[in-house]
Amino acid sequence: MISLGGGDGGGGSSSSSSSSASRKSSSRAKATQTKWRTGTQQKIYGRRLLDALRATGGAPQPRAVKAAADSALALTARGQTRWSRAILLSTCRRRVLVKAGGKIRRRHHRRPAKAAALEPAALKERKVKERLRVLGRLVPGCRKLPAPALLEETADYVAALEMQVKTMRALADALAAAQLSSASPPETERS
Amino acid sequence: MSGRRGRISDDEINELISKLQALLPETSRRRNASRSSASKLLKETCSYIKSLHREVDDLSDRLSELMSTMDNDSPQAEIIRSLLR
Repeated sequence: MISLGGGDGGGGSSSSSSSSASRKSSSRAKATQTKWRTGTQQKIYGRRLLDALRATGGAPQPRAVKAAADSALALTARGQTRWSRAILLSTCRRRVLVKAGGKIRRRHHRRPAKAAALEPAALKERKVKERLRVLGRLVPGCRKLPAPALLEETADYVAALEMQVKTMRALADALAAAQLSSASPPETERS
Repeated sequence: MSGRRGRISDDEINELISKLQALLPETSRRRNASRSSASKLLKETCSYIKSLHREVDDLSDRLSELMSTMDNDSPQAEIIRSLLR
Protein backbone atom coordinates (compact mmCIF):
# COMPACT_ATOMS: atom_id res chain seq x y z
CA MET A 1 0.00 0.00 0.00
CA ILE A 2 1.60 3.17 -1.15
CA SER A 3 1.09 6.08 1.16
CA LEU A 4 1.10 9.34 -0.67
CA GLY A 5 2.88 12.26 0.85
CA GLY A 6 3.31 10.70 4.26
CA GLY A 7 6.42 11.46 6.23
CA ASP A 8 6.75 8.02 7.75
CA GLY A 9 7.64 5.04 5.69
CA GLY A 10 4.66 3.36 7.22
CA GLY A 11 5.58 1.88 10.54
CA GLY A 12 8.30 4.18 11.73
CA SER A 13 8.82 5.48 15.20
CA SER A 14 5.81 5.62 17.41
CA SER A 15 7.09 8.21 19.83
CA SER A 16 4.62 11.01 19.36
CA SER A 17 2.02 8.83 17.83
CA SER A 18 -0.89 11.24 17.97
CA SER A 19 0.72 14.14 16.14
CA SER A 20 2.35 12.00 13.48
CA ALA A 21 -0.86 10.06 13.06
CA SER A 22 -2.81 13.26 12.56
CA ARG A 23 -0.36 14.48 10.00
CA LYS A 24 -0.37 11.20 8.19
CA SER A 25 -4.14 10.99 8.23
CA SER A 26 -4.62 14.54 7.05
CA SER A 27 -2.30 13.98 4.14
CA ARG A 28 -4.05 10.72 3.48
CA ALA A 29 -7.37 12.49 3.53
CA LYS A 30 -6.14 14.89 0.90
CA ALA A 31 -4.82 11.99 -1.10
CA THR A 32 -8.20 10.30 -1.12
CA GLN A 33 -9.81 13.48 -2.27
CA THR A 34 -7.46 13.91 -5.16
CA LYS A 35 -7.83 10.25 -6.00
CA TRP A 36 -11.49 10.71 -6.71
CA ARG A 37 -10.92 13.80 -8.72
CA THR A 38 -8.60 12.26 -11.28
CA GLY A 39 -9.86 11.60 -14.75
CA THR A 40 -8.84 7.98 -14.46
CA GLN A 41 -11.22 7.31 -11.62
CA GLN A 42 -14.00 9.03 -13.46
CA LYS A 43 -13.43 6.93 -16.53
CA ILE A 44 -13.31 3.75 -14.50
CA TYR A 45 -16.46 4.68 -12.71
CA GLY A 46 -18.17 5.73 -15.91
CA ARG A 47 -17.46 2.40 -17.48
CA ARG A 48 -18.65 0.51 -14.41
CA LEU A 49 -21.74 2.64 -14.27
CA LEU A 50 -22.55 1.86 -17.88
CA ASP A 51 -22.06 -1.83 -17.26
CA ALA A 52 -24.29 -1.75 -14.23
CA LEU A 53 -26.95 0.22 -16.05
CA ARG A 54 -26.85 -2.12 -18.98
CA ALA A 55 -27.28 -5.02 -16.60
CA THR A 56 -30.54 -3.56 -15.32
CA GLY A 57 -32.06 -4.47 -18.63
CA GLY A 58 -33.43 -1.59 -20.63
CA ALA A 59 -35.92 0.33 -18.53
CA PRO A 60 -34.86 0.42 -14.90
CA GLN A 61 -36.75 2.10 -12.12
CA PRO A 62 -35.03 5.11 -10.53
CA ARG A 63 -34.28 3.04 -7.47
CA ALA A 64 -32.56 0.46 -9.63
CA VAL A 65 -30.54 3.18 -11.30
CA LYS A 66 -29.43 4.49 -7.94
CA ALA A 67 -28.54 1.03 -6.75
CA ALA A 68 -26.53 0.45 -9.89
CA ALA A 69 -24.76 3.77 -9.48
CA ASP A 70 -23.97 3.08 -5.84
CA SER A 71 -22.69 -0.41 -6.37
CA ALA A 72 -20.58 0.80 -9.29
CA LEU A 73 -19.20 3.48 -7.01
CA ALA A 74 -18.41 0.98 -4.29
CA LEU A 75 -16.67 -1.24 -6.81
CA THR A 76 -14.57 1.65 -8.02
CA ALA A 77 -13.53 2.25 -4.45
CA ARG A 78 -12.11 -1.27 -4.54
CA GLY A 79 -13.39 -2.10 -1.11
CA GLN A 80 -10.72 -0.04 0.57
CA THR A 81 -13.14 1.93 2.67
CA ARG A 82 -15.77 0.91 5.11
CA TRP A 83 -18.58 2.70 3.32
CA SER A 84 -17.80 0.96 0.03
CA ARG A 85 -17.75 -2.43 1.68
CA ALA A 86 -21.04 -1.65 3.38
CA ILE A 87 -22.65 -0.80 0.05
CA LEU A 88 -21.35 -3.95 -1.59
CA LEU A 89 -22.55 -6.08 1.28
CA SER A 90 -25.98 -4.51 1.28
CA THR A 91 -26.30 -5.18 -2.43
CA CYS A 92 -25.39 -8.81 -1.98
CA ARG A 93 -27.57 -9.42 0.99
CA ARG A 94 -30.52 -7.65 -0.53
CA ARG A 95 -32.11 -6.78 2.77
CA VAL A 96 -33.99 -3.59 3.23
CA LEU A 97 -31.41 -2.06 5.48
CA VAL A 98 -31.67 1.35 6.95
CA LYS A 99 -30.87 3.65 4.10
CA ALA A 100 -28.35 6.36 4.57
CA GLY A 101 -31.17 8.84 5.04
CA GLY A 102 -31.73 7.32 8.43
CA LYS A 103 -35.45 7.76 8.71
CA ILE A 104 -36.64 4.25 9.40
CA ARG A 105 -35.55 3.24 12.87
CA ARG A 106 -37.27 5.33 15.45
CA ARG A 107 -35.93 3.53 18.43
CA HIS A 108 -34.65 6.43 20.45
CA HIS A 109 -34.99 9.30 18.16
CA ARG A 110 -36.01 11.81 20.78
CA ARG A 111 -33.58 14.62 21.13
CA PRO A 112 -31.51 14.68 24.28
CA ALA A 113 -32.46 17.48 26.62
CA LYS A 114 -30.18 20.22 25.47
CA ALA A 115 -31.72 22.80 27.73
CA ALA A 116 -30.25 21.21 30.82
CA ALA A 117 -26.75 22.43 30.05
CA LEU A 118 -24.11 21.79 32.63
CA GLU A 119 -21.48 24.15 31.37
CA PRO A 120 -20.84 25.71 27.97
CA ALA A 121 -18.04 23.28 27.31
CA ALA A 122 -20.12 20.21 28.02
CA LEU A 123 -22.96 21.60 25.96
CA LYS A 124 -20.70 22.15 23.00
CA GLU A 125 -19.31 18.68 23.34
CA ARG A 126 -22.76 17.21 23.39
CA LYS A 127 -23.65 19.06 20.21
CA VAL A 128 -20.54 17.77 18.54
CA LYS A 129 -21.36 14.24 19.56
CA GLU A 130 -24.89 14.58 18.32
CA ARG A 131 -23.71 15.81 14.96
CA LEU A 132 -21.16 13.07 14.76
CA ARG A 133 -23.94 10.60 15.27
CA VAL A 134 -25.99 12.12 12.48
CA LEU A 135 -22.97 11.97 10.23
CA GLY A 136 -22.44 8.34 11.10
CA ARG A 137 -25.93 7.59 9.91
CA LEU A 138 -25.37 9.33 6.61
CA VAL A 139 -22.24 7.47 5.63
CA PRO A 140 -23.00 3.81 4.94
CA GLY A 141 -21.68 1.33 7.41
CA CYS A 142 -20.22 3.90 9.74
CA ARG A 143 -22.71 4.11 12.54
CA LYS A 144 -20.58 2.92 15.38
CA LEU A 145 -17.30 4.33 14.22
CA PRO A 146 -15.27 6.55 16.53
CA ALA A 147 -14.78 10.12 15.41
CA PRO A 148 -11.38 10.01 13.68
CA ALA A 149 -12.20 6.96 11.57
CA LEU A 150 -15.62 8.35 10.80
CA LEU A 151 -14.09 11.52 9.45
CA GLU A 152 -11.71 9.60 7.26
CA GLU A 153 -14.59 7.65 5.81
CA THR A 154 -16.57 10.84 5.39
CA ALA A 155 -13.75 12.48 3.49
CA ASP A 156 -13.52 9.64 1.04
CA TYR A 157 -17.28 9.28 0.79
CA VAL A 158 -17.86 12.94 0.04
CA ALA A 159 -15.21 12.95 -2.67
CA ALA A 160 -16.67 9.78 -4.17
CA LEU A 161 -20.18 11.22 -4.11
CA GLU A 162 -19.02 14.33 -5.90
CA MET A 163 -17.50 12.22 -8.60
CA GLN A 164 -20.62 10.12 -8.81
CA VAL A 165 -22.80 13.18 -9.29
CA LYS A 166 -20.46 14.58 -11.90
CA THR A 167 -20.35 11.37 -13.90
CA MET A 168 -24.07 10.72 -13.70
CA ARG A 169 -24.82 14.22 -14.79
CA ALA A 170 -22.44 13.92 -17.75
CA LEU A 171 -24.08 10.67 -18.73
CA ALA A 172 -27.58 12.08 -18.47
CA ASP A 173 -26.62 15.14 -20.48
CA ALA A 174 -24.99 12.99 -23.14
CA LEU A 175 -28.00 10.72 -23.36
CA ALA A 176 -30.34 13.67 -23.62
CA ALA A 177 -28.23 15.26 -26.31
CA ALA A 178 -28.04 12.01 -28.24
CA GLN A 179 -31.78 11.62 -28.10
CA LEU A 180 -32.36 15.16 -29.24
CA SER A 181 -30.07 14.72 -32.17
CA SER A 182 -31.52 11.38 -33.17
CA ALA A 183 -35.12 12.55 -33.02
CA SER A 184 -36.52 12.71 -36.54
CA PRO A 185 -36.97 16.28 -37.77
CA PRO A 186 -40.63 16.20 -38.84
CA GLU A 187 -41.73 15.08 -35.40
CA THR A 188 -39.86 17.72 -33.53
CA GLU A 189 -41.21 20.54 -35.60
CA ARG A 190 -44.02 22.29 -33.88
CA SER A 191 -46.78 23.17 -36.24
CA MET B 1 -11.14 1.82 20.65
CA SER B 2 -14.82 1.25 20.29
CA GLY B 3 -15.56 1.73 23.95
CA ARG B 4 -13.89 5.07 24.16
CA ARG B 5 -16.99 7.13 23.84
CA GLY B 6 -16.26 9.24 26.84
CA ARG B 7 -15.14 12.81 26.64
CA ILE B 8 -13.75 14.08 23.43
CA SER B 9 -10.53 15.86 24.24
CA ASP B 10 -9.69 19.30 22.97
CA ASP B 11 -6.99 17.92 20.76
CA GLU B 12 -9.44 15.66 19.08
CA ILE B 13 -11.81 18.52 18.58
CA ASN B 14 -9.13 20.57 16.88
CA GLU B 15 -8.25 17.63 14.74
CA LEU B 16 -11.89 17.27 13.82
CA ILE B 17 -12.05 20.89 12.81
CA SER B 18 -8.99 20.72 10.60
CA LYS B 19 -10.14 17.55 8.93
CA LEU B 20 -13.59 18.87 8.27
CA GLN B 21 -12.20 22.01 6.76
CA ALA B 22 -10.11 19.97 4.42
CA LEU B 23 -13.24 18.05 3.55
CA LEU B 24 -15.30 20.95 2.36
CA PRO B 25 -12.92 22.91 0.23
CA GLU B 26 -15.44 25.22 -1.32
CA THR B 27 -17.21 26.22 1.81
CA SER B 28 -14.05 26.61 3.81
CA ARG B 29 -12.81 29.18 1.36
CA ARG B 30 -15.82 31.29 1.99
CA ARG B 31 -16.05 30.86 5.69
CA ASN B 32 -13.34 31.99 7.95
CA ALA B 33 -11.45 29.27 9.73
CA SER B 34 -11.68 30.74 13.17
CA ARG B 35 -15.38 31.28 13.03
CA SER B 36 -16.46 27.76 12.28
CA SER B 37 -16.73 25.49 15.24
CA ALA B 38 -16.63 21.75 14.99
CA SER B 39 -20.34 21.56 15.44
CA LYS B 40 -21.01 23.98 12.63
CA LEU B 41 -18.64 22.21 10.31
CA LEU B 42 -20.22 18.89 11.10
CA LYS B 43 -23.62 20.31 10.36
CA GLU B 44 -22.36 21.67 7.05
CA THR B 45 -20.90 18.31 6.21
CA CYS B 46 -24.13 16.53 6.99
CA SER B 47 -26.21 18.87 4.91
CA TYR B 48 -23.69 18.66 2.10
CA ILE B 49 -23.90 14.88 2.08
CA LYS B 50 -27.66 15.07 2.13
CA SER B 51 -27.67 17.43 -0.82
CA LEU B 52 -25.33 15.11 -2.70
CA HIS B 53 -27.69 12.23 -1.99
CA ARG B 54 -30.55 14.27 -3.32
CA GLU B 55 -28.63 15.05 -6.47
CA VAL B 56 -27.93 11.38 -6.99
CA ASP B 57 -31.62 10.63 -6.55
CA ASP B 58 -32.61 13.31 -9.04
CA LEU B 59 -30.05 12.09 -11.53
CA SER B 60 -31.29 8.54 -11.03
CA ASP B 61 -34.79 9.68 -11.89
CA ARG B 62 -33.51 11.44 -14.93
CA LEU B 63 -31.41 8.53 -16.11
CA SER B 64 -34.26 6.13 -15.59
CA GLU B 65 -36.50 8.25 -17.74
CA LEU B 66 -33.87 8.70 -20.41
CA MET B 67 -33.12 5.03 -20.52
CA SER B 68 -36.75 4.09 -20.89
CA THR B 69 -37.10 6.26 -23.96
CA MET B 70 -33.87 5.14 -25.52
CA ASP B 71 -34.95 1.57 -25.57
CA ASN B 72 -34.53 0.87 -29.23
CA ASP B 73 -31.52 3.02 -29.87
CA SER B 74 -28.68 0.76 -28.91
CA PRO B 75 -26.11 2.71 -30.90
CA GLN B 76 -26.51 5.43 -28.32
CA ALA B 77 -24.91 3.28 -25.67
CA GLU B 78 -21.93 2.95 -27.94
CA ILE B 79 -21.81 6.68 -28.45
CA ILE B 80 -21.86 7.25 -24.74
CA ARG B 81 -19.16 4.76 -24.11
CA SER B 82 -16.92 6.32 -26.67
CA LEU B 83 -17.54 9.67 -25.05
CA LEU B 84 -16.38 8.37 -21.72
CA ARG B 85 -13.28 6.69 -23.02
